[in-house]
Amino acid sequence: MIKKLLSSDFLKIKRKGFWFLTFLGPFGVVALQMVNYGVRKDYLLQQSDNDWDYYLLNVSTFTPLALVLGIVILTSFMASLENETNAWKQLISLPVSKMSVYLSKFTVLAFLLLISSFILMLFTLAYGVFLDLGEEISYFELFKFSFYPYFAGLPILALQLWIATVSQNQGIPITIGILGVIFTYSAFILPDWMIWKWPSLINEWNEPIINVLLGIGVGCLLYIVGMFDFTRRDVK
Amino acid sequence: MEYVVKTKGLTKNFGKEKPVTGLDMKIPKGEVYGFLGPNGAGKTTTIRMLLGLMKPTTGTIHIFQKDLRKERVNILKRVGSLVENPSYYPHLTAYENLEALRKILGVPKKKIYEVLEIVRLSDVANKKVKGFSLGMKQRLGIAASLLNNPELLILDEPTNGLDPSGIIEIRQLIKRLPAEYGMTILISSHLLSEIDQMATTVGIVTNGKMIFQDSIEVMRMLSQQKISLKVNNSEQAWRSLLAKGIKADYKDDTVLLSEHSNKKIAEAVRTLVQDGFSIYRVEEEKRSLEDIFLQMTRGGKEG
Repeated sequence: MIKKLLSSDFLKIKRKGFWFLTFLGPFGVVALQMVNYGVRKDYLLQQSDNDWDYYLLNVSTFTPLALVLGIVILTSFMASLENETNAWKQLISLPVSKMSVYLSKFTVLAFLLLISSFILMLFTLAYGVFLDLGEEISYFELFKFSFYPYFAGLPILALQLWIATVSQNQGIPITIGILGVIFTYSAFILPDWMIWKWPSLINEWNEPIINVLLGIGVGCLLYIVGMFDFTRRDVK
Repeated sequence: MEYVVKTKGLTKNFGKEKPVTGLDMKIPKGEVYGFLGPNGAGKTTTIRMLLGLMKPTTGTIHIFQKDLRKERVNILKRVGSLVENPSYYPHLTAYENLEALRKILGVPKKKIYEVLEIVRLSDVANKKVKGFSLGMKQRLGIAASLLNNPELLILDEPTNGLDPSGIIEIRQLIKRLPAEYGMTILISSHLLSEIDQMATTVGIVTNGKMIFQDSIEVMRMLSQQKISLKVNNSEQAWRSLLAKGIKADYKDDTVLLSEHSNKKIAEAVRTLVQDGFSIYRVEEEKRSLEDIFLQMTRGGKEG
């Protein structure tokens, strides 16, 4: 059942800019460093001993912001797809369980964001190589800065999807989403328990993997809560 | 009798509002069931519950003799529906819209062309639905509801927004389906004339209650014309007519003749004149289905 729903959902996102955004996000993040290094490469290279690590750190400054922004926009797009002509009623009167409908939506979004993270890794690597930052490429750091924020951001995805699918008024998820972006922007001063801090990979123990594990755990939890709330509600 | 849809004591509350209260609906197999009621009577809420879009507050729904609560997915495999305004994805073409549903239903692709042909949208299959007129969107919605060869087709106000020729077309289609495909159809409307031309069974709902449910013939019987006679002494006049073997009713100080032929009426009048009654008026009481409908739904409001 879920396979059918997924292929249907991937058909529905055609021509809506989902794929474009998936590409635009990582491109934007790396493009900022293109400007940064384009303008003051020599100065930046002087700042540290390990040019690759320093470059990756620079790239990763904007990753959480782009990620959270992407989550907000994509979830809202996804919900508006069905809200626009109230296609929920048509979709739910098909022989499908509401749980699988929700799972399919989540899976599509999670997949797009994963692709985004992958593209981010490719772009980061490509521009790094172009900058000629040395032979020693820290592949693990590259992987970490590309994919850790994604996993740490899963709770935000689950939360936004939940709010977007059950809100009649898309102003609500957008407002919460914008607040989330602001939170993410000020991650440094947020307490560790706030989910919007997690994609920045900062915590008091300085162990990014904690954010990843928390992200997956709390993400699953929020997903399940959202799914049950979605199933429980009447379709308008 | 085999009922495709059977609800018992169906009730839905939204807080203090009670759009549907204790509704018993029975739809026999192969019938076109006209679900009739004024706007806001609870038709759409009932239909939403039949499709599992809303959960009833109390009451049970059985479709194909199966409990909707337990076997929703299995039931919906055999049901096609169009609820209120048509839903569609405007950025996709008509074909892609149906394809998105077909993928979920798992029917062969040729079915898409088939249903597009039925609703005469084959020419615009590859145009985006954004540019469709309301009538075309409505027809696309009907096409979508036919995709899975449903045994039960639920159409909520399907002729909304269609022009006269579109209405006639849909009407003919709906009449054809039970015979050709053995479908049972539930069709809701607030227009009696609409239902009158398609339905074989009628259910009238008002204020969330079913106030009439029977075949359309029974409803037509109610609408039969009667000749009323106003006479100076109605009760005696009635008795004297009965004594002469002329069928008549006595109600509200008037005599009602159930025979309509000119000859019979002349006979009755002659009898009364000969018996010395003064006849004030001889009137034809026309009761259209509309009158009955209005009377029934008004009665429901008072009660």
